[in-house]
Amino acid sequence: MAIRSLDAFARMSIGRAFASGVGLVAGGFLILLVLVAIFAPWIAPFDYAAQNLMNANAAPGWPHLLGTDEFGRDVLSRVIHGARTSLSVSATAIAISMTAGMTLGAAAGYFGGFFERAVMTVVDLTWSFPDILIALIFVAIIGPGLTSTTFAIAIAYLAQFTRLTRAQIVRLKRETFIEATINLGAKPSHILLRHLMPNAIAPVIVVGMLAIGDGIVLEATLGFFGLGAQPPTPSWGAMMSSGTAQLFLSPWVIIFPGVAVAITVIAVNLFGDELIRALDIRDRLRGA
Amino acid sequence: MPNLLEVRDLSKRFTSAGGPFRKARSMHAVNGVSFDLASGRVIGVVGESGCGKSTLARLILRLIEPSGGRVNFDGDDLLAKTSAEMRKLRARMQMVFQDPYSAIDPRYTLSRAVAEPFEVQGVKPARPMADEVAELLEMVGLNPGLSTSYPHQISGGQKQRVGIARALALRPSLLVLDEPTASLDVSVQAQIIGLLEDLRADLGLTYLFISHDLSLVKYFCDEILVMYLGRVVEALPDTKAPARHPYTKTLMESTFEPDPKKRRLIAPLEGEVPSPFDLPPGCAFADRCPQASALCRTETPELSSKTGHAVACHHPL
Repeated sequence: MAIRSLDAFARMSIGRAFASGVGLVAGGFLILLVLVAIFAPWIAPFDYAAQNLMNANAAPGWPHLLGTDEFGRDVLSRVIHGARTSLSVSATAIAISMTAGMTLGAAAGYFGGFFERAVMTVVDLTWSFPDILIALIFVAIIGPGLTSTTFAIAIAYLAQFTRLTRAQIVRLKRETFIEATINLGAKPSHILLRHLMPNAIAPVIVVGMLAIGDGIVLEATLGFFGLGAQPPTPSWGAMMSSGTAQLFLSPWVIIFPGVAVAITVIAVNLFGDELIRALDIRDRLRGA
Repeated sequence: MPNLLEVRDLSKRFTSAGGPFRKARSMHAVNGVSFDLASGRVIGVVGESGCGKSTLARLILRLIEPSGGRVNFDGDDLLAKTSAEMRKLRARMQMVFQDPYSAIDPRYTLSRAVAEPFEVQGVKPARPMADEVAELLEMVGLNPGLSTSYPHQISGGQKQRVGIARALALRPSLLVLDEPTASLDVSVQAQIIGLLEDLRADLGLTYLFISHDLSLVKYFCDEILVMYLGRVVEALPDTKAPARHPYTKTLMESTFEPDPKKRRLIAPLEGEVPSPFDLPPGCAFADRCPQASALCRTETPELSSKTGHAVACHHPL
């Protein structure tokens, strides 16, 4: 049974993405990162908020492996907890964006006509706003914090998911098997949920995966401007922002969160590329 | 035999939207087509590509909404049905499609594809679904062991058999065959045609057979409708009837003769099919017709029948 399920996993596209060396390293790193984020309180050597002004701006060494910041807080512990913030905000935002975008895109592509034009106009409008401006609007409405960041990221990527899903549905709608199924007497809900969506979902998931990487950068950017996580909650972007003040005195405060962002985004992108290859859908991603 | 299908004056006009830089244009894909199909008979519809035969099939099944005319199926006026009533009726009028390669959802196993008609119509077969699927696959000459295969694992001919099994699952009375063999190898074509003949005999089916292959239609059908640019130009009551329309005659003469002793010069048809957007007045075939007179270029000939062999020509042969 175990062998059979392992075999089934290898035949699944996500399993095939792990098959190459790059896919294995990138995917392995991401799994590790998720585990670190989940178990952050147990893994982090210190309390991320515990201040020790006597030991502020300490260089990397023992016991503070990555040094301390201007309040004497352990940078390693804050980077570990920051993974939690970055990953959960980005993943939540992309999940919201993907769900909304897939629903809107599928409905627009399937029903067409005036409804399609109305949806696509509004969605394209959200795309024309700079991400930072969208975030500022949310900050103005509900105040700074992770909720604003989440919604801002969700809206920033809405257009991408809507357009991609719509393009898939419009293409699939012309396939003979859709006409054949309509001719069997199938309702629109059957056509959409049993045929169109299952065939459209693979490229959307891959784009979602890649968007999580962009979302981490956007979260860091918003955090850097002080629009995201509020102190003392650690976020990679906010840590880099406070690190700028001591850039020359204690560069480790800004370097390590920056390295964390960079490695994570590289891993996400490399794994996403492997996923595209494993699913064999490169040509279908052009619709976005 | 009562008529299973009565088509009257069926038309479809496609209109392209106009704008500031172009005029709105419309084309008659199907123009006033009428015919009767008696239960148990096979009518063939032939014509060049673009003559509207596939559109005609979709209009009859209401997969495309007609612009005008009437379709009576087994006493029911199809165009008066609501979409819910229509979905129910579709169980009795099925279609086999030209392209078997995309006629099955690539994510469906064959058993799921063949069971889908029951799911869609909310019909619970008396026997377990697996038995039903196995019997349908056997009926179209497929090994039931293939039921766990995916479409990409089987050949084009096998896919077309699956398409036929899906169409027959709910025991329809009418089967519309839209060039079912056009995208298959010649040897596979013969197998599919043989299968369709057997199924018709076994299940008492009525076929509307659409093809551009006149020799196949002559072999397979009881009656033949010849279409040219959306109109029926000739209705041959049987396959032996000599052509009365010059277009039908050219079509018949252009079929390949395997016996070298019977070979003759094939006179190719001069000229091009006129654009369906800007139909010239008069007979649409006049520009390519050796018999055309001044009358042909001004007045459209109506389909009129003497002795049951209808032809739309001012100078029938």
